[in-house]
Amino acid sequence: MTPDLIAFFVLALIAIAAALGMLLGRNVVYSALFLVLNFGTVAVFYILLDAPFIALTQVSVYAGAIMVLFLFVIMLLGTETLPVSKALPWQRPLAFVLALILAGEAGYLLFFRKVTSGTIPQPVQTFGSPQAVGQALFNQYLLPFEVTSVLLLIAMVGAIVLTIKEKGGQGK
Amino acid sequence: MDLALWIEFIIKGFILIFAVLTGFAYLTLYERRALARIQTRIGPNRAGPQGFFQPVADAVKLIFKEELTPAKADKVLFVLAPIMTVVPAMILAAVIPLGTQFTLPFLNRPVTLYVSDINVGVLYLTAIASIAVYGIVLAGWSSNNKYAMLGGLRSSAQMISYELSLGLCFVIAILLGNSMSLLDIVEAQKSVWFVVIQPVGALIFMVTTLAEVNRAPFDMPEAEQELAAGYHSEYSGMKFALFFMAEYEKMIVISMIAATLFFGGFREFWFLQGTVFSVDHFWWLGPIYLLLKVVVLLFLMIWVRATWPRIRYDRLMAFGWKVLLPLSLALVFITALGILLANQFGAIYIWTIPVLSILAGLIAVLLVNMSLRRKVAHA
Amino acid sequence: MTTLVETETLDLAARFPGSAAADTRPGYSDWIVNKDKLVEVATTLRDEFGYDLLSHVTGVDYFPDKMEVVYEAFKTTGGPGVLFKVQVPRVDPIEVPSVTPIWPGAEFQEREIWDLYGIKFTNHPDLRRILMWEGFEGHPLRKDWHEPFYEEDFKPLKSRWPDGKYVSSEDKNPYKDNLQFPQNFDPEKVKIDGEAPLYDTLQKYTTVDGGIKTDHIIVNMGPQHPSTHGVFRAAVVLDGETIVSLKPVMGYLHRNHEKIGERNTFLQNMPYTDRLDYFNSMSNNWGYSLAVEKLMNIKVAERAEYLRVIMAELSRIQNHLILIGMLLNDLGAYFTPALYAFEERELILDIFEATSGTRMMCNYHRFGGVSRDLPEGVLEKIRGLVEDRLPRKADEFDRLLTENEIFISRMKGVKVMDAEDAVKYSITGPVLRAAGVPYDVRRAQPYGIYDRFDFDVALRHNGDLYDNYLIRLDEIRQSIRILQQAVKQMPEGPINSQKPQYQVRVPAGEAYGRIEAPKGELGYYVISTGKPNPWRYHVRAPSFINITALEKMCVGKKIADFVVILGVLDIVLGELDR
Repeated sequence: MTPDLIAFFVLALIAIAAALGMLLGRNVVYSALFLVLNFGTVAVFYILLDAPFIALTQVSVYAGAIMVLFLFVIMLLGTETLPVSKALPWQRPLAFVLALILAGEAGYLLFFRKVTSGTIPQPVQTFGSPQAVGQALFNQYLLPFEVTSVLLLIAMVGAIVLTIKEKGGQGK
Repeated sequence: MDLALWIEFIIKGFILIFAVLTGFAYLTLYERRALARIQTRIGPNRAGPQGFFQPVADAVKLIFKEELTPAKADKVLFVLAPIMTVVPAMILAAVIPLGTQFTLPFLNRPVTLYVSDINVGVLYLTAIASIAVYGIVLAGWSSNNKYAMLGGLRSSAQMISYELSLGLCFVIAILLGNSMSLLDIVEAQKSVWFVVIQPVGALIFMVTTLAEVNRAPFDMPEAEQELAAGYHSEYSGMKFALFFMAEYEKMIVISMIAATLFFGGFREFWFLQGTVFSVDHFWWLGPIYLLLKVVVLLFLMIWVRATWPRIRYDRLMAFGWKVLLPLSLALVFITALGILLANQFGAIYIWTIPVLSILAGLIAVLLVNMSLRRKVAHA
Repeated sequence: MTTLVETETLDLAARFPGSAAADTRPGYSDWIVNKDKLVEVATTLRDEFGYDLLSHVTGVDYFPDKMEVVYEAFKTTGGPGVLFKVQVPRVDPIEVPSVTPIWPGAEFQEREIWDLYGIKFTNHPDLRRILMWEGFEGHPLRKDWHEPFYEEDFKPLKSRWPDGKYVSSEDKNPYKDNLQFPQNFDPEKVKIDGEAPLYDTLQKYTTVDGGIKTDHIIVNMGPQHPSTHGVFRAAVVLDGETIVSLKPVMGYLHRNHEKIGERNTFLQNMPYTDRLDYFNSMSNNWGYSLAVEKLMNIKVAERAEYLRVIMAELSRIQNHLILIGMLLNDLGAYFTPALYAFEERELILDIFEATSGTRMMCNYHRFGGVSRDLPEGVLEKIRGLVEDRLPRKADEFDRLLTENEIFISRMKGVKVMDAEDAVKYSITGPVLRAAGVPYDVRRAQPYGIYDRFDFDVALRHNGDLYDNYLIRLDEIRQSIRILQQAVKQMPEGPINSQKPQYQVRVPAGEAYGRIEAPKGELGYYVISTGKPNPWRYHVRAPSFINITALEKMCVGKKIADFVVILGVLDIVLGELDR
């Protein structure tokens, strides 16, 4: 057992526990915080995989920006604790079927797929470094990147338009 | 990783945390004395010579104060929130280089004057800084108090808004230093500080950091005239002290970052280069130079607090989104352009950056001025 | 100031035959109006005769047969006012039509009368208790209302005077008080939610907006809050940061000043007036001595007149300095301007201390003059202040603050009141003048010796926060001008036209003495029956009446603006709650 492996198992346990806590918690604020914890552990995984750039991006984007907005919205709406809700009738069977499929996939991978023996190829040294990410984004994936940014822009403009209309109505 | 490296890490970490904590204690005294001078008072001067033991007295008082927990507060988060605020503030300093390196006598082991020089140090700063907002938001929410809640909401909105411009200022420094490592950025400023090349960027950086640490004139979350004490209204005793500590530690760290990114970090002043006062000559000059710069930057923060009124919240948001963000975007563009020109046509073209960015800054000021006047005319 | 002619033509009896008559009681003046015609008379007075500024409304309890509601309105162009009264039999329910629809400034005053006298105002928009709490039994200013441990109606109490051997009610009834509850009243059973009516009225004013539904939250600013300048509370409904509805809640410092005043002898009231606006005891004294001197019909000694002017104007300067300093504090400037202001204030208080013996509660005026002359050297000090130091300091404040960008962006364009509304809401003082109405009692109806001085009524026109700040600076400069002249002209001579006496004889009658206090028109309405104690002692407190329009000023503004508006309104809780 190398220290890396110990770290991996501990973190994996934390990550799973946090994920479960997020799913099972009845208080939305706690759920959000568990999710943040989960993101944090995932970020440490990235560090273990020698990709600090991705790790820190994970923290600052997911934990630092998106989840804060989530919390913000939760608090603004004031719906911190969920009422014991009625699940939709088809939700439970659907979840069951999906879980079965997932378990089947995992089992297939574990037992039937022949894993090539030998070492897994190490990623290139620069994998996940800012340079590599930049190169990939602006050369190979330029079109998707631009399309995404346009999509985000449209979403943003849409949000602004919605609120502005509302305010105009209020003024009268 | 060998054992010696671990020990070195731990020792350096301890020293750094100790330094930041002591810095926090004496920053409170420094601020109170400086404020008092500005306000034609004397300030605390009873405990010890020149009030030297005042921080100790404050600490003792805070430790022995009763800690109240509101009946309807969320107990777990109420305790967790101050911790979540203070921890990022402390670990933020880990990547900041305090100097070059020296060789430990007897052991003959080179020791670097920073805890860690990860190659994405700047990103580390933004990531950790963005975590800090949780403590404030959760404190506001868990207190079950409307003032605290409003304070928490305000601060999260404010910090997210200003983080964007702050991040773009980081980008400017990264572009100029051609690296995300803070050590490289410092070394790149050997001859010319980045504040000279990108003065407007440095200014925006300082403004946004004020907002980021919730200092006057951006101290919305705890605007005492409106929100009593904002997110920490319900806190007392040591829990309150932790919030207080976080604020002052963040002030110190953020001054260190500003000094590192724009004011040459631990490097000597440019005119001392090559003399005996150079960091290359004596390694221990590095921390001293950094301390000097930090003290000056801290004084600026205190000075601002003593003299400026608070900006109204909606104006603050408008300022962040409508002025600072476009301006800093423009600065990033200008910086990249200048570097490109310098690479293509010779180093002299690097000076297009300050010229163009000051121009951009002036245009921004002009536009703000015009919009203000227009608003007044409307009213 | 050509209003004298107009007042001569004002004959309400001729205008409303049968429903208005001259008040013929000895010592009384002006008109008694029939209750049913009140609204009509008031409308006519406002619209036809131009009495647009309702100065004060108050009740008088002529125990045991009738109650009286007294109104006094002035013209913003100056001149004496018109006093008119409504008399109603003292049988509950006592009802009088409300004049709030005509003069919105009467709203809180009528609430106060309801609270303290139990006179119901029909057609009042929001008739709740104001100074006492919801659920309080009885109406304390009625002559037959007695508090726990009540002893006698008038001071000096016979049990305590003159030998110094006394027994007090507390000693007589050590384990119980002589509090009397109404019949069928069981204090154990009564459970009153005092807050419910307040929140109900708030709800009533909450706007409902279409489209996306947004939740409003109620925030209580106060009573313990750093920016309410005392124990003042405002229940605010917020939509985000914007104020949707606001109701001031007051009375936390209520001590029934007016009831105390009715029991004191005339002179005993003088130190009590200090405690109203505790920043300006010098001007508080003046209003009261004016009213009583009017009743006694005596002249004030010449030197004393000058001393009064000097002290009142110094008081105004220090009040405005503090206002500016604390205003900046409300804006979030960390105490620096406040401490700069306090530095000058200390020098002024030094003068008060040297002259009257105390720094804040000066108790300086006496009927016919003042209590002490200036000690040696103090006049020199005053001269030094007004000729050199204070003008310099006013300029310094101007230089440091007026052009500050953040300050301007917070203050400019945030409208407090426009001229029309300000007059409607009976706002007086700097806030009214900042809105563009040149109404200053020192000019409109000069008292003391103000007609001898050459000064301008400070005036600004926008009525926004910035003008409210600038007008304070202007007034400081005008006060300095007055002081410079007063110090030059001050004659030698006695400081009191009367013999020093403990008890004054005040003939029966009514009088209203008003001055331009730093916060607005400060008036005292005093009724004497010829006895050693006043029958009625009413304070027209500018803080109280200016706050009436607080909701109007704040709705639609940001919560941060509320703090600043409260700051420029310049309330003092000692005067607000009385």
